[in-house]
Amino acid sequence: MTRTSPLAGVKTDTLFVNLGPQHPSTHGVLRVGLTIDGEVITKAVPDIGYLHRGTSKLAEVRGYHHCVVLTDRWDYVSAMPNNLVFCLAAEKLMGLKIPPRAKALRVLMCELNRIASHLLFFGTYGIDLGAFTPFLYAFREREMVLDLFEMCCGARLTYNYIRLGGVMVDVGDNWIAKTKEFIEYFKPRLDEYDTLLTYNPIFMVRTREVGKIAAEVAVNWGLSGPNLRGSGVNYDVRKADPYCGYEQYDFEVPLGKSGSCWDRYFCRVSEMRQSVRLCEQVLATLPPGEFMAMGVAKVPKPAAGEAYAHVEGARGDLGIYLVSDGQASPYRMHVRAPSFINLAILQEMLVGNKVSDVIAILGSIDIVLGEVDR
Amino acid sequence: MIAYFRTVFTAAWALLQGMAITLKYLFKPSITIHYPTEKLVPYEKFRGALLFDAETCISCNLCVKACPSACIQLENATNPQTKKKIAKVDWYSIDFGKCNFCRLCEEVCPTKPKAVWHSLDYEVVFYTRDEMVRCWKAGINYIGKYWNRKEKIFKDPEGQISIQEVHSRR
Repeated sequence: MTRTSPLAGVKTDTLFVNLGPQHPSTHGVLRVGLTIDGEVITKAVPDIGYLHRGTSKLAEVRGYHHCVVLTDRWDYVSAMPNNLVFCLAAEKLMGLKIPPRAKALRVLMCELNRIASHLLFFGTYGIDLGAFTPFLYAFREREMVLDLFEMCCGARLTYNYIRLGGVMVDVGDNWIAKTKEFIEYFKPRLDEYDTLLTYNPIFMVRTREVGKIAAEVAVNWGLSGPNLRGSGVNYDVRKADPYCGYEQYDFEVPLGKSGSCWDRYFCRVSEMRQSVRLCEQVLATLPPGEFMAMGVAKVPKPAAGEAYAHVEGARGDLGIYLVSDGQASPYRMHVRAPSFINLAILQEMLVGNKVSDVIAILGSIDIVLGEVDR
Repeated sequence: MIAYFRTVFTAAWALLQGMAITLKYLFKPSITIHYPTEKLVPYEKFRGALLFDAETCISCNLCVKACPSACIQLENATNPQTKKKIAKVDWYSIDFGKCNFCRLCEEVCPTKPKAVWHSLDYEVVFYTRDEMVRCWKAGINYIGKYWNRKEKIFKDPEGQISIQEVHSRR
């Protein structure tokens, strides 16, 4: 007598699952349409646009000074590089010369913001994988950075600090002392993070083998930032195309090896150490002088032309393409948002993985939906 | 088999190391604030809800032009005898539903002290959309009034407190 499987006549089918848009682990309003076959994902379709505000279009009816306010709202976790990249593009159009103190302050603020942004990633990535404790420690330190920003420019997320021609206000001695205090406090905390999460065997087993991106694939999809460097490709705008005097500071670009989730995570944690180094160097060599260039027009009307500027934001290569037709507002503003481009690889990465690894992979590419949708 | 126990041991050891860090902070003072019984006072430069003083304003329209989201509106006062515009504001309104809290209006304000400025108030709340549009005229205090469309009268908002008087943190 032959035995037949009890499932012989049962019809099996793939299942369509919506991840999001209100899922807490998607870090915003992202919907991923997952087609799953048992536990394995066969198709993943990211669906974006829930947070679309049309800032590129809004910029076409607003003056250049007003556009800086709009830029705050893209990547609201690290808004300083957003401010900076717009100002760099607009300054190229206007031919402004930036005083050295303003340049140094821009670098300092961007690096502090990178620390704040990576701390948010560190904390929430722990939560995504079920470790709640690191989140509380990360936010304790992030709060101190945000306090520094509040003390300096008055806002905690949407700074509007970096302006055309310089920065909003100069920093005082009190602020500098507090920043030095924070950096001294922060350095030993990084070792604690390593104990809490980075070298935790459970965390490493969960992340070391999933979401691997080969270097060629990463380049083909146009990834940038820690996602690209996690795959071992040495590309950092701060080194490749220095702006604001990054060439005079001494720092390293941390690289991953295999392009797994852990490598991307480790790149970000190592970047925080480099940012601390950069902050220390800027504070030690902060040049005196003006913080704002002379002769910035109240209503700038740059001559017709185009300019492209890009910076290394916390999430990657953030670029702005500005076209001016001589009017008071830009003719066209295009944003090369790193999160948007990094998100595209998700449809390839998720296929073949288990459902339980989706959040580990999604968290590791560290997107901010405000920047994806703009 | 040995590998299994080694894994268990390393995971447990990592857990204990993590616990040692959390235990260290158990005996340190708490860093959290028990809102709303305790409140943080922001730093002096904090950009809270906007306030306006109708007496100092010279009605120069610079803040209206500086606002990126066009949330400020105002109208010049006129001299009742000559019917000519004077450097005083008749009414002034800010729509907090649109406000970006960017400080561009405060920066361009030419008067001393500033006629429009950011308070330290981060607790401003609105129960209705009407309340988001604050109006000022001569004789109305810094917090402003809002037009209640149902009752058709100007009302004092309930959401704003005078945290701007305090100048120290904690």
